[in-house]
Amino acid sequence: MSSILRQTFVMTRANIFSLPRRLSISLSMVLSVALVVCVLAGFLAMAKGFETALQSAGSPSVSVVLGGGTNQETGSDIPASVIRTLQAMTGDIGVKRVGDGALVLSREMVVTVEVKPVGTDAGRTLALRGMDAAGAAIRDHVSLSDGRLFAPGAREIVVGDRLGREFGLRTGDSVRLGTVDWRVVGTFSAQGSAFESEIWADLDTVGAAFDRQGQVQSLRMRLAEPAALAVLTRELAAITTTPLIAVSEADLYAAQSERTASLIRLFGWPLSLLMAIGATAGALNTMMNSVSDRTVEIATVRTLGFSRLSASAATWIEAVLLAAVGVLLGLALSWLAFNGWQASTIGGNNARMAFQLAVTGDVMLRAGLLGLAIGVVGGALPAIAATRLPLATALRSRG
Amino acid sequence: MTTANHLEPYIQLSGISKAYAIGGETVPIFSSLDLKIPSGDFVAIMGPSGSGKSTLLNMLAGIDRPDAGCLRIGSSRLDQMGEAARASWRAHCMGIVFQFYNLLPMLTVAENVELPLLLKSLSARDRRGRVEKVLELVGLADRARQYPVSMSGGQQQRVGIARAIVADPALLLCDEPTGDLDRKSADEVLAMLRMLNREFGKTIVMVTHDPQAALHANRTLHLDKGAFIEERRAA
Repeated sequence: MSSILRQTFVMTRANIFSLPRRLSISLSMVLSVALVVCVLAGFLAMAKGFETALQSAGSPSVSVVLGGGTNQETGSDIPASVIRTLQAMTGDIGVKRVGDGALVLSREMVVTVEVKPVGTDAGRTLALRGMDAAGAAIRDHVSLSDGRLFAPGAREIVVGDRLGREFGLRTGDSVRLGTVDWRVVGTFSAQGSAFESEIWADLDTVGAAFDRQGQVQSLRMRLAEPAALAVLTRELAAITTTPLIAVSEADLYAAQSERTASLIRLFGWPLSLLMAIGATAGALNTMMNSVSDRTVEIATVRTLGFSRLSASAATWIEAVLLAAVGVLLGLALSWLAFNGWQASTIGGNNARMAFQLAVTGDVMLRAGLLGLAIGVVGGALPAIAATRLPLATALRSRG
Repeated sequence: MTTANHLEPYIQLSGISKAYAIGGETVPIFSSLDLKIPSGDFVAIMGPSGSGKSTLLNMLAGIDRPDAGCLRIGSSRLDQMGEAARASWRAHCMGIVFQFYNLLPMLTVAENVELPLLLKSLSARDRRGRVEKVLELVGLADRARQYPVSMSGGQQQRVGIARAIVADPALLLCDEPTGDLDRKSADEVLAMLRMLNREFGKTIVMVTHDPQAALHANRTLHLDKGAFIEERRAA
């Protein structure tokens, strides 16, 4: 080990061992860094959880066709003539077909309904999706957790697992949606994705119950392969003058998640940065206090021949180490407090969408780096101050 | 330990001037101060407060620089050295004993004594060997693992002396080494300095207020108003 490293090591060690002399101010620095890290990790975990819920819902092998000049299901309308024409086409339109040549397709419509969670009076807006029988199978990673799928023509619903847990809905329960009662005949899992925030029922039954007979907002189709989306887009343009767009399910949800996740980050980062500025001022104060507390020790070792660099580096290392402790504490707290925490927001169909906060590796990395930056920036000036101690004066200020 | 050559003037100050700016006013400490100390000498410097004793010691230690004049120690011109060069010179050529010991309380006795050796290219084993040797010399071999706070003032000052001599410097500077000690401890410390001077040929410059401490030196220089006004040689 080189002399300068040995000097820095021994001075850092002396700094760390002298921390009990300035315990309260050092602890306050650790806690302020922990708070900044915890808050930022919370916001980032929220954005990450929201993104995960939506992005995992989208498959590149499924196409969503929307009409009416909108890129959301709400406000979209697919004319019946278009659906009939598509179903009558026998050539390759980029969509998978079953044994009898029929397209793997689900006509769908979303209506918002108010549901009161068990034991509460306040209703919450949820998405009730009417779909064809093929609708569940078209979606990736969807499986029944309990019961069975709804029967065509019956007032039966299946409920996403996340929604079922939150609202206390179980197979066999009856729930009023709109003006009629529906029976829960099953629950489904979609690996925690946004689908689990929906209620599914037969399209025609939903249309009848909500006076929207014959209305179709979107078509979901299983593509022959992801690249076949271009074929479908071309065929749609050829069969109608109605403005229809075909997007992959993955792109549809990615776009939805991007807007909200950006909004969450837009609040999270400035708030965390403002807090970080405050914490940096705190770190600066703590480290100035540390230099002041160790004036005689620094002056003594420098009189013995220790370099300015070792005094500076040791002060800086102390700041970064204290910040690192704050980072670890903040990350541990955020993981305990936020990871897996259920949250909800208004999703793409103006209905409630539940998701799970995710304190992932990249969330920890970003929040942790901000915390370390507080130590690096807050320790810089005191590190310089440690090198500028006038030795003769410092030695006289009895330790 | 090395034995110094007694014939050459080891420390030489010629025409040294030093002034401090205090409250916008320049206060002269020395003007044209001359001093020669041969190698292997033991010199006590006495004088009233404000006479410039500490400033002189700081300049000899390379932690302060004269405004003008020549300050030579051995073959080194301290007045011409930059901060880094003076730090390196301190590490290799000088040991210092402080009035209040200036031990690092969070390090053990052995670790405190080892500090100057960290600046040298020595293996951990060699450093340990040297530390053990000097602690034995100052009679604290059995206290190596203790912390300074658990020791008396006299013992702490012996640790300070061990730290000052562990790198085997030719020059030992002592700033009121007995100023914080009772008579008995002070006499032990002074006897140790005397032994280091006589047996190991260390050149020692000691600033003190204590006339009894000064009696242990070969000669005593009285400093007043920036000039040496009297010299007393030991009988």
